[in-house]
Amino acid sequence: MEYLLVHFPRSRRVLIDDEFNGRTEEVIELEAGRHMVSLGPPYDNYTPDQYTIILKDTSELEPREVSFELQS
Amino acid sequence: MSFNHRFGAVLACAVFLTLQGCAHYPVNEPLSPGQTTTPYRFNPQANSNNTDSLFVCLAFSGGGTRAAALSYGVLEKLKATRITWKGAEKSLLDEVDCISSISGGSFTAAYYGLFGDRIFQEFRDRFLDVNVQSTLIRQLFNPVNWVRLASPYFSRIDLAAEYYNDHVFEGKTFASLAEPSRRPFVILNATNMVNGERFEFTQEQFDFLVSDLNSYPVARAVAASSAFPFLLSPITLKNYPHTNFVLPKDYDMGLGDYDDNRRRYYWAKNRAIYMDDTKLPYLHLMDGGLADNIGLRPIEAAYRRTSGFIRKLMNEGKIEKFVVIVVNAHTIDTDEISDDESPPGLFTVASKTATIAMENYSVETIETMKELRTERVKAQKNIAACQKKLDQCPGATPLPKFATAIDPYVIEVNFEALKDPVRRNLFLSLPTSFSLTKEQVQTLVDVGPQLLEESPDYKDFIQELTAP
Repeated sequence: MEYLLVHFPRSRRVLIDDEFNGRTEEVIELEAGRHMVSLGPPYDNYTPDQYTIILKDTSELEPREVSFELQS
Repeated sequence: MSFNHRFGAVLACAVFLTLQGCAHYPVNEPLSPGQTTTPYRFNPQANSNNTDSLFVCLAFSGGGTRAAALSYGVLEKLKATRITWKGAEKSLLDEVDCISSISGGSFTAAYYGLFGDRIFQEFRDRFLDVNVQSTLIRQLFNPVNWVRLASPYFSRIDLAAEYYNDHVFEGKTFASLAEPSRRPFVILNATNMVNGERFEFTQEQFDFLVSDLNSYPVARAVAASSAFPFLLSPITLKNYPHTNFVLPKDYDMGLGDYDDNRRRYYWAKNRAIYMDDTKLPYLHLMDGGLADNIGLRPIEAAYRRTSGFIRKLMNEGKIEKFVVIVVNAHTIDTDEISDDESPPGLFTVASKTATIAMENYSVETIETMKELRTERVKAQKNIAACQKKLDQCPGATPLPKFATAIDPYVIEVNFEALKDPVRRNLFLSLPTSFSLTKEQVQTLVDVGPQLLEESPDYKDFIQELTAP
């Protein structure tokens, strides 16, 4: 399995491939490969809109990290 | 020949051809854009009495009435097992969230999915204690059926499905299984003859046929799941035009995963064949055992796959204990081929070729599920151990953790676990058929609970569940 950590200043649900699949600042366990990462609602206060990543060679202690910024 | 005789012969031919032309299997319906009924997918909103925090999945293997009776015995045991979870007293069966099944196991799974606890009053008289095999054979001697079977659109499997529909499943369709908040989610599995891929009777799979599963009879899905090669013919489904079909994101991403996730790539590629509906206007399904004879693969996929319903609940922090119980009615074939120096005949070779691989990957599948369990436990332990070290460093930032630490179990019910060699061999030599004696059925119903109780993994789970 592969591991992802999504940063955002607020606790928010995480969308993986258009489906809710965990929360920010928690280790999310996923299958390897391409994934589209985005955040749950409200959809208009973060940037960028989404990341497309390839998950591989991660571990629970060294997850792939992506960060979203708060946009006012 | 007189005029009357000739007229009679012509009339008989006309009636024959008319009847023959009328006989057609029930065709699956297309998806309608304005569909208002709940589609048959896993429903994350559980019934109030069934929590997500204790998430229990059952896998029922193939093996004719033997498998159906063994899995029924396990259901009886789960019903009788009283637990207290989150302050509520209930039976362990009330916490079963999904059942994935193959062939004979699909009869038990579908019956429990449709009728719940009624199974314990009705299923033995309706199915387990009935000589289904001879009933189906008798139907072949009915002259009306000769005419129907002469149609190219009606075959032996359709006769079997009609019997299951009328005498076992009360004509129910998947709409009954899809009732809002109904658990367990039952996944009946067959095999696509084109690519050997497992075919699930779920709306997610039917989406790729642009077809509505809700209107489809459960009996036909069970018939497809148990369409044993040679004895029964395949079940046919129509693949509708893919106009306005919206690709799931998961599928889109999977097609680019050749280098990074071969499993997901081939999953997407196997779905891709349905998109070409002009090249594949129909598909033909056979016994689910040809792709996976223990029914564990859909549960493994729901756990492993990013879009899997178990995976999403885990990452959302909903599951605390995850339990998989595999009811494996595997037996050992009596080897008669090796007695003879001369090679086996054409029929034996053809039959063996079609069925010999059915058990090849069962052990591997169970071991893979156990490895996934171990991987999760190790990952949780690693994070906890590192955090413990970090706690000794003043001002250190806490490590990110999983949404919840999950306590997973993979439990197997298997005749091989019987300690008494005589009893073990007795069960391991039971035939795969839909005609067992009442005594054989009773011994199978009795041995299921015993095997479950004696399983070390089940003992651990119950002990952990009842620990203060």
